[in-house]
Amino acid sequence: MSAVDLSVELCGLGLKNPVMVASGIFGYGTEYADLVDVSSLGALVTKAVTLEPREGNPPPRLCETPAAMLNAIGLQNPGVEVFVTEKLPALRDFGVPIIVNVAGATLEDYVAVARRLAETEGLAALELNVSCPNVKAGGLHCGVSPDLTAELVATVKAACPLPLITKLSPNVTDIASIARAAVEAGSDALSLINTLLGMAIDVERQAPVLANVTGGLSGPAIRPVAVRMVWEVARAVPVPIIGMGGIMTARDALEFLLAGATAVAIGTANFVNPDTAAEVLKGLEDYCRRHEVARLSDLIGAAHQY
Amino acid sequence: MFNLTPTVVSREQVTPVHVRLRLSAPEIALAALPGQFLHLRVSAACDPLLRRPFSIMLTEPATGLIDLLVQVVGRGSEAVAAAMPGQSFDIIGPLGHGFPLAPSGSQVFLVAGGVGVAPLIGLAEALAEAPGEREIFSLFGARTESLLCCWLELAERCVEFTAVTEDGSIGETGLVSEALARRLQAPFPGKRVIYACGPMPMLTAIAAIGREADVETYVSLERWMGCGVGACLGCVVPAAAPSVERYLRVCKDGPVFPATALDWEAMPR
Ligand SMILES: Cc1cc2nc3c(=O)[nH]c(=O)nc-3n(C[C@H](O)[C@H](O)[C@H](O)COP(=O)(O)OP(=O)(O)OC[C@H]3O[C@@H](n4cnc5c(N)ncnc54)[C@H](O)[C@@H]3O)c2cc1C
Ligand SMILES: Cc1cc2nc3c(=O)[nH]c(=O)nc-3n(C[C@H](O)[C@H](O)[C@H](O)COP(=O)(O)O)c2cc1C
Ligand code: FES
Repeated sequence: MSAVDLSVELCGLGLKNPVMVASGIFGYGTEYADLVDVSSLGALVTKAVTLEPREGNPPPRLCETPAAMLNAIGLQNPGVEVFVTEKLPALRDFGVPIIVNVAGATLEDYVAVARRLAETEGLAALELNVSCPNVKAGGLHCGVSPDLTAELVATVKAACPLPLITKLSPNVTDIASIARAAVEAGSDALSLINTLLGMAIDVERQAPVLANVTGGLSGPAIRPVAVRMVWEVARAVPVPIIGMGGIMTARDALEFLLAGATAVAIGTANFVNPDTAAEVLKGLEDYCRRHEVARLSDLIGAAHQY
Repeated sequence: MFNLTPTVVSREQVTPVHVRLRLSAPEIALAALPGQFLHLRVSAACDPLLRRPFSIMLTEPATGLIDLLVQVVGRGSEAVAAAMPGQSFDIIGPLGHGFPLAPSGSQVFLVAGGVGVAPLIGLAEALAEAPGEREIFSLFGARTESLLCCWLELAERCVEFTAVTEDGSIGETGLVSEALARRLQAPFPGKRVIYACGPMPMLTAIAAIGREADVETYVSLERWMGCGVGACLGCVVPAAAPSVERYLRVCKDGPVFPATALDWEAMPR
């Protein structure tokens, strides 16, 4: 059989392959450069960028739970200006599409970051992090409300011509309704899932393990929840989906593709095995050969025809 | 920084809860500096999920061998300690910043608490081999005599070795930090440097002692880690003002820090 076509089309971005690294995992690219061939990634999503520098949450910020981990990093980042002038040049040198994860506390914050990124060269897309506590919504994150999500998406879309990907929070009752609101407001693609809200208690100290009390759960334990949500969202909206949540192997990635994701992102697995993205890609190629699939994109959503 | 799968060549049960592993890892043996660590994958399955950090105790560049000292505290360390010769580990390393070597002519205090002795043994070796002369004192604290793992390895590389046990089963009775404070009372005209590794309360006490005695002090910290390479910002500790960053990464900016670089008031336990 001839070479498998691994490329996918994601809201105007022709990706050479569908395997990306998720936001918050790879820093700004350089930390893993010794261990990983960054240039072979389908795309790279940065850690969240905010308007002003953020110092993040006090430690302890992470702990392990069964087949998963909790984190409460708290958006620590140097702010959009330092990101653009100091971090981005090295990132661009990898020659992979750069997707910037954008976060904020107010609508104005998001718009200001989006404007700054709009005038910056060499970016592929924005990923809108709607899971940040929102000042106007009384600390609730926009991602829980279809209306707030729609308002945020429409406003950022108007501020920046780059393709807009909305990253959905799983901490909602009906993720399909949030997905619909985001797409109707102009989101070009969706990524899901962000971390699940969780908590661990140190029984010896009789206190929460994380200084922030709660944290975001990620890793293989959350995969079935993520697959279910991708499945539901794929049925609800026509735009491409970047699926993530606990992907460790090509088999895991295939679940997401078959559930309707156009691309996948590797998160926590990178900490365990920095080579995960490359191994997943290799595994996807092998799978296509084994199943005589000429184009990987033919697998997208295939399980919906059951 | 490498991602390798070195093989265990020998295993020694040092105490009921400490195991010394010797691995064949020539790249690490050549590159590692005292105080650097390895991030070890402890399970091929998904649970325990995250890698665990372990200090490089000793390196032998000529043979390509490295030694680790592992204390069993949970499932991850238990899996590492159970490794038998022939078994291999997935490791990333050497990681982080190690100990800067004290200049010739200085008086050096190596202060170990429990399994924190591991990087200090490698440091003692490096100080002894470095050009020039240094007077190396070591103090090793543990709850009780049987937990003074590999103490001979430390003692034989120093001019003076002091054991300190909380229960008085051997050596001086009490805390190793108190023993250090007593040593520092003897005047010394030249430069003095303290290097410490152990539990956080011990390091907090030693940072204060170093500050009061105006002695340059380096501490090696332990934190839970995600990536181990500086990307996830999960392992941070508070920096002392006027640092530009509020938080420093133990895996990348440390694990060894000048004690004055840290905000001990805000330090998590
Ligand atoms: C830079 C560095 C160097 C280290 N060097 C050594 C070494 O040479 N030898 C050695 O035996 N250990 C060393 N450690 C500690 C070692 O990483 C932990 O003991 C190990 O990760 C525990 O894993 P576990 O699964 O056995 O325990 P878990 O089940 O995860 O935890 C058991 C107990 O240990 C505590 N704990 C777990 N991980 C850590 C951690 N990283 N820091 C502080 N407390 C923790 C937990 O609160 C819990 O009470 C080092 C840690 C760091 C950060
Ligand atoms: C340490 C850490 C930091 C993260 N930071 C961000 C972030 O800044 N922005 C964001 O949208 N998601 C962030 N995430 C969520 C991941 O991008 C991903 O959605 C989630 O971890 C699920 O995938 P996984 O199970 O493969 O890790 C973070 C996750 C982790 C573990
Ligand atoms: S463990 Fe990820 S930054 Fe230190």
